[in-house]
Amino acid sequence: MTIVMISNKFQGGGEELAQALAAKTRWPTLHRQDLQDQARKLGIKVGRLETSMIKRPSMDEKLAREKRLYLAFLTAALCEKAREGDLIYTGRAGHLLLPGVGQRVRVGLTAPMEIRIKRTAQALNLSQDKAESYLAQLDEDIEKWIRYVHQVDGNDPNTFDLFLNLENMSLSHAADILCQTAELPDFQATSESVKLLDDLLLASQAKLRLAFDDRTHAADLQVQADNGVLTVTYPPHQEAIKGYIPKALADLEACREIRCTMAETNILWVQERFVPGSDNFRQIIQLAQRWGAAVELMRLLPMGERVGAPGGDPNAEYEFGPRQCPSAPSCGFEVDDTEAALDDGGLGRVQEELVSLGRCGGQHTVCGGHAKILERVQDNGQYALVVIGDLFLSKGHSVRTRRTREMAMNIRDRLKAPVITAEELKSRFLFGPRQAMTLLGFLAIIVMLYGLVFNHQTAVMHFLSGSFHRHYKWVGSVAVVLLIPIIAYLYGTVTGLALKLINVD
Amino acid sequence: MHELFTINYINIDLAIALQVVLLGFIGGILSGFIGSGGAFFMTPGMMNLGVDGVVAVASNITHKFGKAMVGSRKHAAAGNVDKKLAVYMLGTAIVGIQIAVAINSYLFKGEGGGHGAAKGAGANLYISLVFAIILFAVAVSMLRDVLKSRGKGEADSGPSMKIAEYLSRLNLPPVIHFEVADAKVSLWVLMAMGIATGYLAGTIGVGGFIGVPAMIYVFGVPTAVATGTELFLALFMGAFGALSYAYQGFVDLRLTMLLYLGSLIGIHLGVYGVKVVKERYIRVVTSLIILLCVFSRVIAIPVYLRQLGVIEFDPGLDWYFNLGSKFFLFASGISGALVILAKVVHAYIQRRKIQKTLLIHKNVETQPSASIRAA
Repeated sequence: MTIVMISNKFQGGGEELAQALAAKTRWPTLHRQDLQDQARKLGIKVGRLETSMIKRPSMDEKLAREKRLYLAFLTAALCEKAREGDLIYTGRAGHLLLPGVGQRVRVGLTAPMEIRIKRTAQALNLSQDKAESYLAQLDEDIEKWIRYVHQVDGNDPNTFDLFLNLENMSLSHAADILCQTAELPDFQATSESVKLLDDLLLASQAKLRLAFDDRTHAADLQVQADNGVLTVTYPPHQEAIKGYIPKALADLEACREIRCTMAETNILWVQERFVPGSDNFRQIIQLAQRWGAAVELMRLLPMGERVGAPGGDPNAEYEFGPRQCPSAPSCGFEVDDTEAALDDGGLGRVQEELVSLGRCGGQHTVCGGHAKILERVQDNGQYALVVIGDLFLSKGHSVRTRRTREMAMNIRDRLKAPVITAEELKSRFLFGPRQAMTLLGFLAIIVMLYGLVFNHQTAVMHFLSGSFHRHYKWVGSVAVVLLIPIIAYLYGTVTGLALKLINVD
Repeated sequence: MHELFTINYINIDLAIALQVVLLGFIGGILSGFIGSGGAFFMTPGMMNLGVDGVVAVASNITHKFGKAMVGSRKHAAAGNVDKKLAVYMLGTAIVGIQIAVAINSYLFKGEGGGHGAAKGAGANLYISLVFAIILFAVAVSMLRDVLKSRGKGEADSGPSMKIAEYLSRLNLPPVIHFEVADAKVSLWVLMAMGIATGYLAGTIGVGGFIGVPAMIYVFGVPTAVATGTELFLALFMGAFGALSYAYQGFVDLRLTMLLYLGSLIGIHLGVYGVKVVKERYIRVVTSLIILLCVFSRVIAIPVYLRQLGVIEFDPGLDWYFNLGSKFFLFASGISGALVILAKVVHAYIQRRKIQKTLLIHKNVETQPSASIRAA
């Protein structure tokens, strides 16, 4: 079950390469255009999405729901095809679809511009100059589209497994390379990749069901799937649709359980092992209850040994190649609840606690680093907060602290959400003794400042616009510019802490 | 107090102080809800309390400066600030502010020629007219927007894009690329918008209503980045405005400090209101509040015209005009704030009620093929 995903530019040879590969392997091919036609038939406004995004970027937030629907459709269609067997897909950014699935060969393709211009001129019956302008504009629009839909740079080499240049290579030889690459053990299905494919398929199908059901189509829902368990979060002001969610998803194949959580937002908690009742757990729950947030759990496992490396090899850590994921729940093809309970890192127990508290936001298990985390959450909507908890448990304290901070920094750069470590959680978001002292201290200063100004109003106004001001204009203006931010900061901190104290923020 | 100064600074006793705090509180709720600075309410509100227009604008722009400093840090942390764009707009916004300060100062110092002319009547009239015209256009545009989008899908909603599309196609070189905002804008368009934003901020203390839509619809900047960048810009515009007005002696520090007492609490409630209220409802409430604020300013205009000698009527009627103006302003602000607070409280109670219900109904089997739990 290998999926070869070819991304190429207009008239860049992608379709021909796919056909050449299909001729050698006898694998079915799927093109972006086919999926777009199917999406349009379903009622997804693909054309409007593309046009509005390119011509009116300000509409991107308004069309966010349409975009999610489109992505859900693409994901579901690809997963369904991939479950049937090997597959070749061509598109603009095929390499960015099905994030995290290990059995993909992500192929980038480039061809000489002169050839592309000639092909474009012939295909569209344009002059060479017009074809060149057309291609330049189209390439720019597509780059914008990729950034809008996938939130990444489509040309980032880190997102490809293989990049081919057709300048000096024939299509047949390029297809030979792809054929051999696709047969490598590095790109074969594993239990983990199949599980992820199943999860993606289930989540996408659920999203489509909810989007096309009259009772739930207008709702702003987040959908997670893990091992047959669907978690759907809905906002408080759309509480009325809660009862319809299970009905809309009732006969969804492969769905074992549906969990509906009301939440205004999500908090993503990343940790290696979860312990109900731990300090981190209590603090995050406190915050989630205050914010009305659902808590999404992500168990981050460190990379295991290189696949195929001899056991005990001291250099294995430094070698390239796919890594094994250490034992994680449901990595077998057949999911057995009893087996799944073994060493899930506490995910199951914490998840049960969250369900009982009404804060369940779904769960994932990921192996790797920050790139894997980002890959997994990129289509999950906005998070109010990402908490990087206890990671790198096998390392010493200082290494753990440093690497956790680095992880937080790397994620912060890419994800548009506040990212903090568990250490920072209490000081920044919860109310403790330190916050109480800050509140009282700042309050005292504020009271003093206000007392000074309002008990000496005449003197203050003389300073700012009376006789003193007439002689020393700059002094008064500089004093205002220096004093005002101090007052705003002090009083802003006081009000923020006071509201935090009464659980309003 | 006012006899000691050339400018009419009001006496601030407890009653006036509480009214200013209330103005700040309502302005804060509205600003958190709408996403603007709240000046459209606070500036005319202070004028209704007898504060000279220039002093109201100056005190409010100083208040905005401090608030923007606190708010822009959060947006910067979320990656929503395009500092390059802000710097470009700031350069021309400063010019706009200087123009506004110069005009306001000139009008304030000019004599009223009519019977019973009050100092600053010219500036008050000018500020009120600019306020009424600009904010009337904003409110009508928003309402038209909402009425047009009724029954249509989200992709069809939005203001008329003809002007914006024309301007955005005007790729007059030099064209500058802004990475964070992911937008390319002609320098000339940028400069024009910057001057307009600065001029309005300096004249009536309102910047976000023009700056944010300009960035979104003319430059093509994403909303979050437009809001964050505008706040960052407001920080520097506010600083420059505060410096310029303070140099002229127009800043009433007492008013600024009293506004903070209310606004920095109100803003939290307003922001929470955004989370629990539908967007269309937000736009309707916003546009109605703005229209009432505009109406309250328009009612006060005859007083200024009389003071300048343009029209004549019994000066005793001034009290009624001012009362009417004050009534509409506070009515709009208080009713808007109450509506928002009602929604906030309702959502808070609803949330707690629903959480209890969800806990009770867990583990209910409703389907044989899938177990369904209400979490």
